[in-house]
Amino acid sequence: MNRILALIKMDLSITFGLSAIRHKIRNRNDMIQMIILGIALLSLIPAYLMMVSGLSRIYYAYLNIGQKSMFLLTGILACQVIILFLGILYVMSKYYFSNDLNILVPLPLKPKEIIGAKFISLLIYEYITTLPLLLPFIIIYGVNENANILYWIYSIIILVFLPVIPLSISSIIVMLFMKYTNIRGKKDLLRTIGYIALIIVMIAFQLKMQNLAQRAIDNEDFLYKIITDSTILVRSLGIVFPPSMWAALSLSNLTSISGFLYILLFVIASIAVFYIMLFLSDRVFFQGLIGNLEVSTSGRKARVKSSDFQRQSPSCIAIAMKEVRVLLRTPVYLMNSIGGVVLMPVLMVISFFIEGEESLSMIKMLLETNQRIVNLIGVGFIVVLGFLNSVCCTTFSREGKNMWIQRVLPVSTKDQIIGRILSSMFVQVIGILVLYGSMAYIRVLTLEGALIIAVLGLLGSIPVGELGMIIDAYRPLLNWDNPQKAMKQNLNVIICMGIGGLYVFGAGFLIYKLMDTVDLLVIYGIAAAIFIVSSLILYKPLEKIIEMRFNSLE
Amino acid sequence: MLKLQNLSKTYGKGSVKAVDNVSLEIRPGEIFGFLGPNGAGKTTTIKMIVGLLKPDSGKIYLDNIDVWENPMEAKSRISFVPDTPEVYDKLKGIEYLNFIADIYGIPKDIRQERIEKYLDIFELRNAVGDIIGSYSHGMKQKLVLISALIHDPKLFILDEPMVGLDPKSSFHLKEIMRERCNEGKIVFFSTHVLEVAEKLCDRIAIINKGKIVALGTMDELRRYSEEKESLENIFLELTANE
Repeated sequence: MNRILALIKMDLSITFGLSAIRHKIRNRNDMIQMIILGIALLSLIPAYLMMVSGLSRIYYAYLNIGQKSMFLLTGILACQVIILFLGILYVMSKYYFSNDLNILVPLPLKPKEIIGAKFISLLIYEYITTLPLLLPFIIIYGVNENANILYWIYSIIILVFLPVIPLSISSIIVMLFMKYTNIRGKKDLLRTIGYIALIIVMIAFQLKMQNLAQRAIDNEDFLYKIITDSTILVRSLGIVFPPSMWAALSLSNLTSISGFLYILLFVIASIAVFYIMLFLSDRVFFQGLIGNLEVSTSGRKARVKSSDFQRQSPSCIAIAMKEVRVLLRTPVYLMNSIGGVVLMPVLMVISFFIEGEESLSMIKMLLETNQRIVNLIGVGFIVVLGFLNSVCCTTFSREGKNMWIQRVLPVSTKDQIIGRILSSMFVQVIGILVLYGSMAYIRVLTLEGALIIAVLGLLGSIPVGELGMIIDAYRPLLNWDNPQKAMKQNLNVIICMGIGGLYVFGAGFLIYKLMDTVDLLVIYGIAAAIFIVSSLILYKPLEKIIEMRFNSLE
Repeated sequence: MLKLQNLSKTYGKGSVKAVDNVSLEIRPGEIFGFLGPNGAGKTTTIKMIVGLLKPDSGKIYLDNIDVWENPMEAKSRISFVPDTPEVYDKLKGIEYLNFIADIYGIPKDIRQERIEKYLDIFELRNAVGDIIGSYSHGMKQKLVLISALIHDPKLFILDEPMVGLDPKSSFHLKEIMRERCNEGKIVFFSTHVLEVAEKLCDRIAIINKGKIVALGTMDELRRYSEEKESLENIFLELTANE
């Protein structure tokens, strides 16, 4: 037991950089940075409050149809499903790609001890990230119901066990996935494609379940039941992820014995799934891991040939090529950047795929008459992908310990900027191509649309890329042991999404307002102008910050 | 000529003086050895020269170019080999070398000639098509050495270059250093291996607690010491804790 505690302690210290924070607090520059970060996070509060007030309206909506427990289900289900999906990514990098494995594997530890410790530290991470999402649901319901002490006790139990089942399921899926994809050669590629396919299949499965659940409530008989049974909706829709349903039902049936039974079921199921996961880890973890740490050499093929010497390219192209190569060959980066831009457009149309021809013809009718708006939405979508792809807002963080190379080389700041923007463009072009595919599937792709989306989408990706680089240059996260930290667990990504989201929302709002009064061709022009002007405005501060940080890093 | 003028650097709110008012002049054609115990300020000094650490005060000039005022010009004449060879694990060796050659603007024929020459010297020809993640520590070290030589730098700076190299590669590296000096270029390196410094260096500086405590040729250094024999004795005497 002591060994596991020691492992957990070490893992927490590494994951959350506890020792590093202590060191940072002593350093004045870092302290200022932390204060600025704090202010940036505080600025997100208004948006959060807006979300909370929106939630309380949803509560009243459910209250009015006599299905208020649906409100609880919505919150719990959202959290558990998010943990399930993001868990796949976290689990994969934490169990299989973190650098501490080189130290842990040779130690006399059982796989389940390593996995157990890593699981606990992921669990704590999940508490921190899901609490802000779930708490409003619990509090709004509790306050409106004048809930008694039992409600709050149950809520705490639910909060504690909430991530256990989804995270255990993610762990099981990932461990099996890694075991069966541990094939020499094209392992990284195989796993990335497999990962994207896995996510699509899981989402399709979820949607299919929802679709089935919805069909079940689409009859008159059901309407009658809604009036008589206050939990019917929860029990029908909760089937998508039963543990969420148990948790919601335990809170809504507090006073009866069934409430107690539901919470008991929730807790026992959580513990059981956790133990099944641990049991499995002893059998399959090493099988997926060993060989993962080794890097194969290609023998004689590695010999240098005359064709290996490239013709001279400009510095910015060299930087872009290097960025793209590292991006493509590091699974975590690949999944987060290209994985993201491939997934999003697919997810957009996947529900039509599941619901069949009927819904497809409806959306087609709706969109056909508004073709130009479709194009503008496409442009907006690509610009949003511009910050969701996380390429620019982690570009310096991803350098990590190799940052010294960039700093000793004679590369002008301009080349650094252009090169890194180009690497983001590469990812964006892939996103555009997949979007074309999705649009073609719902039959709204036209030649004009394709052209507009490509030109304006790429143009709009420049300012959001610059914005991301400003954030990342200002606070690059260079000290990491796991590439996941540079990209997915990097706060810069979230800050960039916040500010980038505001930018897109602002530009979108302006265009929306103009839409009724101005010709659409002019609107395209205005959009282009907004993108170009904001790129130019952002360039100077970006240049200054990069120069300053390249000089002052220690 | 490399000139350090009153260079100082402190860490931790000024409580630790890593480099304390260091001045040095290194002439073209010199191999300059930088010696000192662990934590004496060797790496800090080197990092300030190559642009990785901004000095608190003092100036660094290479051929009269202020390294921190005109970094682009200065950096295009310098190359740096750090003590731990951290390079992009996901790039192939040859891709990394091409990347460095692109940044320094080396045309195809010249880069091919130079890279092939050093690949043969360091026996890396058969591995350079593999990704760097598959290399041993020594192989990475050699790759960084080759990448540092592609643009034929005027100032070649190495931090503990012999650590991790096999005897044959160390021998070749010493030859390369000597060759460069014969061509009128500067080699500046830090080391713990006193024998190497003794045999190879034209001049040596010993740094202790951030200050230069001895500077000169081997013969000149012997005058600092009572036992006047090996560099080891001189080093131990000068860096002994008071």
